[in-house]
Parts: sequence; structure tokens; C-alpha cells
Amino acid sequence: MNKVFIVARWEYLEKIKSKTFLISLFVTPIIMVTMGILPSIFVTQEDDETKIIGVIDVSGELAGPLTKHLEKEYKLPDGQPNYIVETIPVGKDRNIDRAIEEADAKVLNDKIEGYCIIDFNPPEDTVIEYRSKKVGDFRITYRIQESLQRILSEKKLASMGLDPSVLRELRTPINVQSVRLSTSGEKEDAGFIRVFFSAYIFLMMLFFLIVTSCQLLVRSVIEEKSNRIVEVLISSCSPTELMAGKVFGLSGLGFTQLGLWTLVGLVISFGFGIDLVSFGHALLLIIYFVLGYLFYAAIFIGFGSPVTTEQEAQQVTTYLVLILILPLTLVLPALQNPGAGWIKVLTYIPLLTPTMMALRIPIQTPSAWEIIATILLMLISIYFAMVAAGRIFRIAILATGKRPSLGEIIAWARTG
Amino acid sequence: MLKASNLRKVFTTVRAVDGVSFEIQRGEILGLLGPNGAGKTTCIRIILDILPPDEGVVTYDGRKFSERTRNIVGYLPEERGLYRKNKLLDTILYFAELRGMQRGVAKAEAYRWLQRFNLLSYKDNKVEELSKGNQQKVQFIVSVIHDPTLVVLDEPFAGLDPVNQILLKDILLDLKQQGKAVLFSTHQMDQAERLSDTLCLINRGKVVLEGTVREVKKRYGKNAVHLEYEGDGSFMRSLPGVRRTIIYGNSAELELDDGVQTQALLLILAARLEIRKFELVEPSLQSIFIQLVTAGKDEGTVKRVEVA
Repeated sequence: MNKVFIVARWEYLEKIKSKTFLISLFVTPIIMVTMGILPSIFVTQEDDETKIIGVIDVSGELAGPLTKHLEKEYKLPDGQPNYIVETIPVGKDRNIDRAIEEADAKVLNDKIEGYCIIDFNPPEDTVIEYRSKKVGDFRITYRIQESLQRILSEKKLASMGLDPSVLRELRTPINVQSVRLSTSGEKEDAGFIRVFFSAYIFLMMLFFLIVTSCQLLVRSVIEEKSNRIVEVLISSCSPTELMAGKVFGLSGLGFTQLGLWTLVGLVISFGFGIDLVSFGHALLLIIYFVLGYLFYAAIFIGFGSPVTTEQEAQQVTTYLVLILILPLTLVLPALQNPGAGWIKVLTYIPLLTPTMMALRIPIQTPSAWEIIATILLMLISIYFAMVAAGRIFRIAILATGKRPSLGEIIAWARTG
Repeated sequence: MLKASNLRKVFTTVRAVDGVSFEIQRGEILGLLGPNGAGKTTCIRIILDILPPDEGVVTYDGRKFSERTRNIVGYLPEERGLYRKNKLLDTILYFAELRGMQRGVAKAEAYRWLQRFNLLSYKDNKVEELSKGNQQKVQFIVSVIHDPTLVVLDEPFAGLDPVNQILLKDILLDLKQQGKAVLFSTHQMDQAERLSDTLCLINRGKVVLEGTVREVKKRYGKNAVHLEYEGDGSFMRSLPGVRRTIIYGNSAELELDDGVQTQALLLILAARLEIRKFELVEPSLQSIFIQLVTAGKDEGTVKRVEVA
């Protein structure tokens, strides 16, 4: 036991100082945050100053109502109108070319944000043009579209002799709120986005932790093999102690990383008021996380320890990453139908158990016996995977030269 | 101290070790000799419990290898290497602790050994910043720092310059003085001859010769002639009264049958060669080694060397 600790401490302290680890520690969350959260922040970011929108209205009938509508409906946080509309006059000959020229100049000189050309004939021709330096601003185009839709509908109703307020009634929005039922009878709000993110973040963390740890492990095995340090190690402690030490050291490393990320995650979720998972769920998720980590770690040791060169290490890592990607591809279908029979079946494949449970728990917590059964299943799988990995490790760390075939590795794993 | 009996190990096609037995006592140096690929390293791995033998038993003071044993053996593998990126002192302490030393004691010992090898000023340097020879010294420290009872060194002299060879030789004799059992492998016969108390010569997985240096020499030829000459000496391969001839070029070793008159031999040789030196000696280990090894490798060669 003591020697396991010495190996674990060495692996931990040595790796925590390595560049690979530090990079993955800081870069990974940055990538995750950038990919997952920033776009939604930018999309929902409100304008903070009034924008001037130009309108070239050929009919001369829509500019007025559009101006009124936009100014009335959309306000800045400080109560000022979000948009002010500037009408760009069209000559009596109805030639819009000059007006366009003038508007273009204004846009390019930043006098106006952009302008739209209302030159259409609904219901046959329904396209209007919005020109701006920033064509990616979906919000403006959407709002102009909305406003014109309303204006045209009201006009139509008026021409049919109906009160435009009918329209308001008709357009009262209906929201569907999904409420999650659990056996205890409590009702809970379960936003799809929220569940999706909690499961996705779980998987991404598992993915990155395992990949980083695996690379560190394989690299350290390669170094020890290539300079024969491993012989001194194996004459100092048993292969089982050595492997256990490595697993604990690298797990410690993984969980250090996880702890730091969780902290960052908590700060972010408090900062932005995103409530990802409840405490009870978090506990279960952590259990499955640890189980998943250990199971994958055993697989990685088994297939990583026979490697003798960096090149082979890369190949092996690639294959193993593919095993990890498989659960990621199942996230969406599983989320859409967490109760489906095939999802339940997949839950009992040890490679997928942690993922599937991570997906199912926030949506529709599986029954207690399912949780117990899967945890037991994982524990048994980890035991056998570790035993097999230990057998492979024993032989593989002394083997140099030609890489053993898959058949040989399996044979090592079977015969203790 | 250490007793290996009847070790056997077969790799897929090769019988690496085939019934090897030897013994070392405290305060004794055993030289494990043999050509490349003879099975020396495999033997060493077996006695250190790195490889399990297919057959045979290794005992330490009558007991089997155990966790306790791991802390009383020290090992310098043939291929040299340490963690490149780590500091000298950290590396030494790690291995010392793995051999069961307390950190405090290990530190004091590490300083003492580093001092002895003039490496103390490098203690906070990374291993890769040291020269090859210095790295080798660090590795040697790792194999003896925990005051092992048995020190196993696989080709310890390989790659050392003459100065460091002497340093190492002195330390090995020192260890012997302290009552340690030392096992070292080599294919440099002169080293083995000077250092070892006991020899064990392995060829193709089998022990072909063992005993003290004196015993071995006694057994192999009392009458040998060491010759230095100029001229074509190939006729010496078929001289009457000469049991074996080894020709090195301008020198040769002739092993004589019992009762051969050396004066008569000198006359025959002097008639055909220009003799520079003619000396009656015991055969060197080198010649015994070559003779035994070539005998094992190819019977035909032996017949040519042996003269009836």
C-alpha cells in the first residue's frame, strides 16, 4: 500500500507540473465555454444605444406605420427607443435609384445602421431588402419582418371592416412549458436546453479528462520502457502496485482538474444565473463520472501499455478516442426519447452506462433499482477490466520491439 | 545469500535460460559471464522477480522472493536511463523511497553519495542536463542508496571511461568489504578476472563453467604457452602435443598436452617463426571463454582448433 502511495504521489506531482497537463487544464474549459456559452450570450445581448434605420418606401404607405411600430415596440433598457426610423424620400418619378445611392452613402459613413427597401407587392412578391454593413444582425431583420407583418395584417383586417385589435387577440402567444413528473409526485421544470447542457458538459468533461490522463499515462509508460526504468521499478515494487499507483496518481490528477473546472463552472453558472443541475442529481452524476473514469482508465491502460513508440501511442489514442465519441453521438436521440426501450438497453452496456445515466437522470430519473443495478454493473466491469489491464500491463511493460497483436493482448488478459 | 537452482525460461522460440544454477554469499563478488545473447540478462531478471521463471527456484537466505526482498536488492539494468525531465535529487529520492527508505534517511544518503561522485552541485539540475557518464553514476547511486544486501549490476562497466571504471571497481570492492553480495554481468573477461571471487559462465542458456577464478584456471590447462611472434603462424593449429591453439594475429596461446617438452616446442616454432616472446602461463579467462563459447556454437570450429 505504501509503495502504491509513493508511485501515485510521484505520478501526480510529476504530471501536474507538465506542460501537457497545464495546457489542458486551462485551455479545455476555455474551449468549452467559448463553444457552449459565448454564442448564446452574444445572441441574447441587447443593444445599448439607439440605432437609426433608413427606410425607402416606394408605396409611401408603410414607412409611417413601420416607424411608429418599431419605436413603440422595441425599447432599450433605459427606456429609449431601440430604433429610430429615418425615411429616405423617393422622387415623384418613383425612381428609387437615387434614394438607394443616398442611403448607401449614409450606411457607409455610419450615419445609419442600415436601411430597407420596401418595394414589393404582396401577396405575390413578398421580399424586401435590408442593406447594412452588418448582415449578420438577425435581430433587426427579424423585427422589421415582424413589424411589417403586423402592419400588413392590420391593414388587411381594416379593409375587411374588422377592428385591428382582433389581431392582437389572435396573436396572443401560447407557450408550452414542459413539466417533469417524478414518482415522488413533485413537478419540476425541465428545460431542454438545460438538460442538454448538463449532459453535454458531463460528457465533455469525461472525454477531456480521460484523453488527457490517457496521453499522460501512455507517455510515461513509453518513457519508462524506452530507458528501462521500468525494470528498476518492477524490482522495487510489484507490477500491481505500480499500476495501482499510476491509476491513483492519474485519477488524482483528473479529479484535481475536475474540481477546478467545477469551480469555474459554478462561478459561471452563478454569474449568468444558469441553474444546471440539482444537488441530488449532481451527486449521482459524480458517482457515474468516477465509475466511468475508472472503467475507461482500465481500458486505456490495457491498450496503452503495450505501446513502445510515440507514433503507436498516437494511433492507439485515436482508436480509444473513437470509443469515447460514440456516447457523444447518442446524446440527441437519447434526450429526445429518454424512456425508449433501446435507451434502456444501451444503459446496460458498461461502455455507455455513465453516459446514458447522465442523459437520463436530469430528464427522467431512472428507478432506484436501475441506479443500483447500473452502479453494481459498473463496479463489476471495473473489477474485471482492472484485472485484465493488470495482466496486460505486467507483460506489456517489459515487452519492447514489435507491438503485440490484438490477439496477443487478449491472450495476455485471459491468462493471469 | 542468494541461491538460484535450475532456472528455465523459454521465450516463444528461444530457450533463453536452460537449467542455470548459481549461488552467492555475503562478501562475495560473482561474475556472470557469457557472450551477447547468452541469457545473462534473463537470469538477472528472474532472480529479481521481474520475470517469472518457467521452472526453477530462487531463494534469499532460504526464503522465496517477497516484498521484504525488494527492499534488500539493488539493481542497475543494462540499458541506461532515468526520467529525463526530473531533478537529480527528486529522482534519487523517489527510487530510494520505493525501496522502502524513509524520506529523511534517503535524503542524507543521497547527499553522501552525490558528494562521493562529485555530483552534489548538480542536485537540482534536470537529469537530461548531465553528461552520459554522470547520468550513469546517478543510476548507480539509485541501485545502492538503500544499502542493499544484494547488488545486481548488468554490464556495469559498459560505456564507462577508464577513470570511472576504476572508480566503479573500487566501489564494488568496497561493497564486498562491507559484506554485501555483488552479482555483475560482463563480457569483458579482464574485468571479471580481476574482480570476481566466483565465476559463472553461461552460453546459450546453459552454465558451461563455474567456480572460483583459481579453480577455473586450474581445471583449464596447467600448461599453456603464450607466444608473440612474426610470420605465418597458421601451422601451429596442427602441432603434435598441442591440445588447443588460439591465434590472435601476432600472438597466440597454445595449450599443451601433459608431459610435452616445452624446449622441443620452442625449437620447432623458432625454426619457422621469429619469436619475440615465449612464456609458460596459465591460460587467460579470455581463452577459456573463447574456447568454451566457440565449442558450443559450432562443433566444426572446435575440431579445427583442437589438435589430437
